[in-house]
Amino acid sequence: MRRIRSLPLIATGPLILAACGGGESIDTGGGGGGGDVLVAAVAAQPDQFDPHVTTAYPSFQVLENVYDTLVVPNPEDLTMEPSLATGWETSEDGLTWTFTLREDVTFHDGSEFDSADVVYSYDRIIDEELANSFRFATVADVTAPDPQTVVLTLTQPTPNLLERIGSFKGMAILPEGAAEELDLTTEAVGTGPFTLESSDASSTVLTAYEDYWGGAPGVDGVEFRYITEPAAALTALQNGEVQWTDNIPPQQIESLTGGDTVELQTTPSVDYWYLSMNYARPPFDNRDVRRAISLAVDRAAVAEAAWFGAAQPNQTAIPEDSFFHSDYAPFQPDLEQARQLLAQAGVQTPLTMGLMVTDEFPETVTAAQVIAGQLEQIGVQVEIETLDFASWLDRQGQGDFDAFLLGWLGNLDPAAYYQEQHQTDGPNNYQGYSNPEVDRLLQAGATETDQEARKQIYDQAAQLIVDDVSYLYLYNPDVVQAWAPGLSGYQIRADKAINFETVELP
Amino acid sequence: MVLAGVSVIVFSLVHLVPGDPVRLALGTRFDQDTYDALQARAGLDQPLVQQFLGWFGRAVTGDLGVSFRSGETVTSQIAERLPATITLAFAAILVALLIAVPLGTLSALRPRSAVDRVATVLSQFGISVPDFWMAIVLILVFAGTLGWLPSGGYVPLTEDPGAWLARLVLPAVVTGVVSGSVITRFVRSSVLEALGSDHVRTAQAKGLPGRQVLTWHVLRNALLPLVTVTGVQLAYLLSGVVVVEIVFSWPGLGQLALQAVQARDYPVLQGAILLFALVFLVINLVVDLLYTAIDPRIRR
Repeated sequence: MRRIRSLPLIATGPLILAACGGGESIDTGGGGGGGDVLVAAVAAQPDQFDPHVTTAYPSFQVLENVYDTLVVPNPEDLTMEPSLATGWETSEDGLTWTFTLREDVTFHDGSEFDSADVVYSYDRIIDEELANSFRFATVADVTAPDPQTVVLTLTQPTPNLLERIGSFKGMAILPEGAAEELDLTTEAVGTGPFTLESSDASSTVLTAYEDYWGGAPGVDGVEFRYITEPAAALTALQNGEVQWTDNIPPQQIESLTGGDTVELQTTPSVDYWYLSMNYARPPFDNRDVRRAISLAVDRAAVAEAAWFGAAQPNQTAIPEDSFFHSDYAPFQPDLEQARQLLAQAGVQTPLTMGLMVTDEFPETVTAAQVIAGQLEQIGVQVEIETLDFASWLDRQGQGDFDAFLLGWLGNLDPAAYYQEQHQTDGPNNYQGYSNPEVDRLLQAGATETDQEARKQIYDQAAQLIVDDVSYLYLYNPDVVQAWAPGLSGYQIRADKAINFETVELP
Repeated sequence: MVLAGVSVIVFSLVHLVPGDPVRLALGTRFDQDTYDALQARAGLDQPLVQQFLGWFGRAVTGDLGVSFRSGETVTSQIAERLPATITLAFAAILVALLIAVPLGTLSALRPRSAVDRVATVLSQFGISVPDFWMAIVLILVFAGTLGWLPSGGYVPLTEDPGAWLARLVLPAVVTGVVSGSVITRFVRSSVLEALGSDHVRTAQAKGLPGRQVLTWHVLRNALLPLVTVTGVQLAYLLSGVVVVEIVFSWPGLGQLALQAVQARDYPVLQGAILLFALVFLVINLVVDLLYTAIDPRIRR
């Protein structure tokens, strides 16, 4: 799973790339109107282009189209399917995974792709302890017995290994020696459908890679233009300056749906937003108090306010379409029962609860205001503290909070998100939850190789997590994207990956 | 010397602000090994004094360090955004003066008249209207409904003068209206003051034509405060106008500084603030030099 990234507005500078001298560029006199180039309006500038280093979503919007991984999530249900690896086998004991690599794949510099590139890329992430090294926590060794084969040796069975190495382009395969020969912060040599042509403070330009192993893309290039203000991005789409955007003012989603000025689509994302209470701060260590609060929160009203209805209320982590969705919703808003539980817990009302939110994600500020109104009815006085994200993270790290609101993005496999967030002393268990039964289930799920059995284990764990209110899950926001009428071949995805490989302009 | 003092203050302030850039780069997902590796790479594991001395030593030679986030040099990041910032700042000042000088003079010539009232209301409006609101309304009208201008972005003058101008108009107007409203009030009061001074009365008594009195005796004297306030406004604009830059996707220094604050990208933030300090120093110097050109009494 990806971590919450410091999303918009964080970006940096100028990356004028040495344009590799192909001499094929035709002078269009600027303005980006020439050729068959798709112009996409994105909300923020990529911070840099080293896939193994960056953690920023704006970077991955671009890198998705430039690099490949061994396996990729299927756009429909996000299960893993072949990409640079055409197949794989797992040993009886689950400790050895053997990947067969695709042949006739070339990097953008013309060099051949083989197993040495995979070993190099994975070793780089592991040895330099880069942002995604945790994904190799159970990997003891990466070897290449021959040019078309890569073997991963594990310390314990890891049923979600494919998700770990393929869920996003942070696990990209670089050509051997790339980090030493290139400045990967500004240059990119991948195997993907587009090459990174140039990038500056206004836009990033990609050019179609004609020798792409999946066939040449349907457009000559893509320009990612940074338009932070949603109203401006929508205007640019409507008057034809751009042909695609994911930066839509939420309050306009409804009026745009079904209209003919733009094509707008939505799908529930595998992101979830939640409220979490501090087990180290009485009375929030009391299960009844947490359950009372969970009973008093009307998730549908919160989703409506934060997203103008473009979010699906959910009492568990991930949405219905996902394989690991748990159909469990024990809390229907019931103020009477909530008050009883508070009384039963011996809590004096009004009870004051600090609720820490960050303006980095304005939806949490709105959600907090709605929740404050709802909790007031059972005598819980919510004091909303709006911080900038840096201070917010500081306080979260120090455990200095009663409760906070935040989200997790791109959740594909429960071994990642449940374990880190709800296991006793898990690295992201900031609330301080500890339930031996949950620990046992999470351990079992992490090594169970049968998918159906795994799902049952995680369903049980999810029920306990929800019942104990380790997280008070709120909703899954929709992915909302819009494009020019007539644009074809684009598929909206629940993991918010943006892939322009098969897009064709009207 | 001033800059050396500024750099101490800048460095301390930037590091005093709560928030850890490494933690921020990692997001909410925490991993001690990765954290330590990142911190060491950024040099943040060293004592603060040592960090300052290292940074200061390099800054003196023009090396402002490397951005935590992008891995690029701070100087190249600033240099890339400088043309857009300078373009917008001067265009906005031009708009501001085109508004302020006629409007301020007219209302001073006829105090309490209808013209004066309208000018006062307009300048009050310009100061108090939120610039992001004005910006969005202008985009919706001129780029949306009318479709006359692009919704934003920046194209260098050298690349395509037409596209450059089309994208410059709206941000320059929004920024210029705000600055112009401030300057209008200064023009009005300084023209009023000059009108009431002895030498103007003398000139009028000598029977000089009204236009000549206005140009040579009133406006010339009213110019001094105008130069000062315009200088202050220009320095402010050259430090980047965050809101307008964001709404119009204008790749200026304001955006860069904001991004650096949010990411706690110390090197970029320090570099940007140092530059802003330098801009204020230079503009103050230029304003002082202009004084001597305008007012012979200062020369002596």
